[in-house]
Amino acid sequence: MKYMIMLYGSQQDYDVLSGRPTAKPAMSGVEIAAMHEYMESFHKRLADSGELVDAQGLSAPVHARRIRLDNRVPVVTDGPYPETQEVLAGYTIVECASIDRAIEIAAGLVNPDADGEYVDVRPIIDGIADLEL
Amino acid sequence: MPDPDVEDLLRPLAPQVLGAVIRRYGHFDLAEDATQEALLAAATQWPVAGIPDNPRGWLITVAGRRLTDLLRSDHARQRREATVARWARPDQMLAPAADRPPESDDTLILLFRCCHPALSPASQIALTLRAVGGLTTAEIARAFLVPEATMTRRISRAKQRIKESGLPFRLPPPAERAERLGAVLHVLYLIFTEGYASTSGPNLQRTELAAEAIRLTRTVHALLPDDGEITGLLALLLLTDARRPARTGPAGELIPMAEQDRGRWNADYIAEGLALVSEVLPRGPTGPYQLQAAIAALHDEAPSTEATDWPQIVALYELLLDLTENPMVALNHAVAVAMAGGPQAGLDLVGKLQHDERLAHDHRLHAVRAHLLELAGDHRAARESYLAAAELTMSRPQQRYLYGRAIRLADLPATETTEATEDS
Repeated sequence: MKYMIMLYGSQQDYDVLSGRPTAKPAMSGVEIAAMHEYMESFHKRLADSGELVDAQGLSAPVHARRIRLDNRVPVVTDGPYPETQEVLAGYTIVECASIDRAIEIAAGLVNPDADGEYVDVRPIIDGIADLEL
Repeated sequence: MPDPDVEDLLRPLAPQVLGAVIRRYGHFDLAEDATQEALLAAATQWPVAGIPDNPRGWLITVAGRRLTDLLRSDHARQRREATVARWARPDQMLAPAADRPPESDDTLILLFRCCHPALSPASQIALTLRAVGGLTTAEIARAFLVPEATMTRRISRAKQRIKESGLPFRLPPPAERAERLGAVLHVLYLIFTEGYASTSGPNLQRTELAAEAIRLTRTVHALLPDDGEITGLLALLLLTDARRPARTGPAGELIPMAEQDRGRWNADYIAEGLALVSEVLPRGPTGPYQLQAAIAALHDEAPSTEATDWPQIVALYELLLDLTENPMVALNHAVAVAMAGGPQAGLDLVGKLQHDERLAHDHRLHAVRAHLLELAGDHRAARESYLAAAELTMSRPQQRYLYGRAIRLADLPATETTEATEDS
């Protein structure tokens, strides 16, 4: 069974990471290195246990483009999100024995020092059979 | 009318479907309801529309969709509950998935879960029959002669407790497994005895419960064929159930083993039970179910009460007494001693047991004493004990049997003897 673990962040959170001055204090280089190291070893262990399918981080929300159709003509909006809106920042897809195991893995992706941070776990649809009947 | 072919197909699928739904989505309590509804849909649709190519897949899909509906109405009705995920301890978060089990283990995981020590035996039994046996609440309520509303409450309380326990869907850790398996076997045994010797109500046997207990025990035996006690329990159930056709008369009355027509015993069950016993006993270590199976085997092999190997049965009961503190075992031991060495030896042992609080108000103690007194020729005392036993039992056929013995003794001269049995 496959599950997607979704991580969220706002443009402001990305700014904290990049050291840009905002309302929140910026992270130090040492803190950022520690975080990268943690994520790397975390996913390495997932790969070793055979449960990692894919993991990707998304670039800052400011780079997002929103595409609509206006009279069937594509119209593109740059940076559609407000500064503080939490949007998808990255995901880890795992294939594991049960949702219980997926939850266990997901708990390792929440920063224990960031109050109120969360991730979501959602079962991935196996195939068209899941939607039929 | 339920279609028997569809029923036979659905029942073994029930725990597999529930296991798959819980693995994928969690929510034990609602997943169980959703699976029941999928089974019900299959039971009504398949006989008409035909059985789908992949019955298991059909049931999982329907149960999954039903779970979605149930979750939506559940979310709408009450505020979201935050469950503390107790198993997500940061230090073990990334333990390799060594426990990723084959799906066939889902039935076992469900059994362990339904027989969780936080539940009372009555709840364990009800939940096992529903979640693993695939019986509906109405069927379980009928089998236990309680109103359906009572059984519904019992089952939903049990599911709530399991939900609160917050345990992940996996086998218990190896250190706990033996003890938890003991609880599973006990529940299967209780389901069987409830069906075989009903503790209350007008019918002596509720065969569907006994048959269900044997079916579930067979399933567990197939999953864990090397476990001696599971093999022992399966043998015990088969060897006991083998006598069922001869155990009641045409009017539903109880016939004690000494008077049963042994030609009516189920020869297939006896052969299967004996084969299991002779396969498992040499393996050791010998647990209580294996010993009881060995005792049942000696009864089933004997052509008559007189030709039964009573000294061997006494020896087996003594081994059993070393393992368990069960007063019923002591009582059966007393009967075997009487059959091997005369009624007085048995009566001496029964005399020691009557101060045991667990037995003092049990009809079986008085029934055994009555039989042994009758065997010893003390008809007046025997009659009193039969009457005392009849007052204490809740089962009407047993009452009729015991009153019948008491009435018969009133007409007998003081020297004639009849045979005692251990089966009343």
